Amino acid sequence: MFRALADPTRRALLDSLFNRDGQTLNELCERFPEMTRFGVMKHLVVLADVNLVITARHGRTKRHYLNPVPIEQVANRWISKYAARFTAALVGLDEHVTSDRQMEARKEQSA
Amino acid sequence: MTLTAHVYQIYIAATPQQVWAAITDSEWTRRYFHSTAYVEPPEQGRPYRTVVGDGRPAVDGLIEEMQPPSLSRPGRFVQTWHTLYDPDLATEPASRVEWTVEQAGERLTRVRLVHSNLEQSPLTWQNVKDGWVWILNSMKTLLETGQPLPPISEQEELASADRA
Repeated sequence: MFRALADPTRRALLDSLFNRDGQTLNELCERFPEMTRFGVMKHLVVLADVNLVITARHGRTKRHYLNPVPIEQVANRWISKYAARFTAALVGLDEHVTSDRQMEARKEQSA
Repeated sequence: MTLTAHVYQIYIAATPQQVWAAITDSEWTRRYFHSTAYVEPPEQGRPYRTVVGDGRPAVDGLIEEMQPPSLSRPGRFVQTWHTLYDPDLATEPASRVEWTVEQAGERLTRVRLVHSNLEQSPLTWQNVKDGWVWILNSMKTLLETGQPLPPISEQEELASADRA
């Protein structure tokens, strides 16, 4: 997941979906005219592989959605480690119920 | 266009049958879903209503589809979604919530949640946007560790105790 986020173009793609969720490949290509269609597709595949982007078909169109779930899982993990507990309370989350085993599973999943 | 749908996906280390029970069985929902429970067990083609712990109404609608997961196909649980827990949200028309529960590996299940038909329900759109992320993570934590995420109010108490 971090490798997926390390690329500025992929972060820009996520920003674009954050601002307007459910875009088609054509719509995303229009927003990134400097990239080839194949380039955009390749980046979307990397993002989909780590569950940050999910696609759904609506009739004949395929739309792309930003999935915030794994981002929050990562946030839980680091925020509870470095920040005070009240920060976790603010976002309604706390990691202390999560076992180390699950941490490992997540690590594998996002690797 | 932006208002049409929220789409989420989460992987849970549990069987599709366990995840299906967590979504459709009140014994599970009340442990991770803000204490909500179905007044009567949901049934395909029938109206439903959920209530919070003290009996106040939470959500109602119709169970449009209820197909448990099997070896050959993913589970599908589709319900219309009319919010009752907030008077402003209750004035908006029903939207649609679709759960898809699919085997993704040995004891690994992919859960996809689509909340759509929100064009006429901007308040609900905003209200559930981050709410579903919490619900999904809470369900995952419960199924994988046996413990749900602590309720938000309890965390605030813990936090003020820490500060004191």
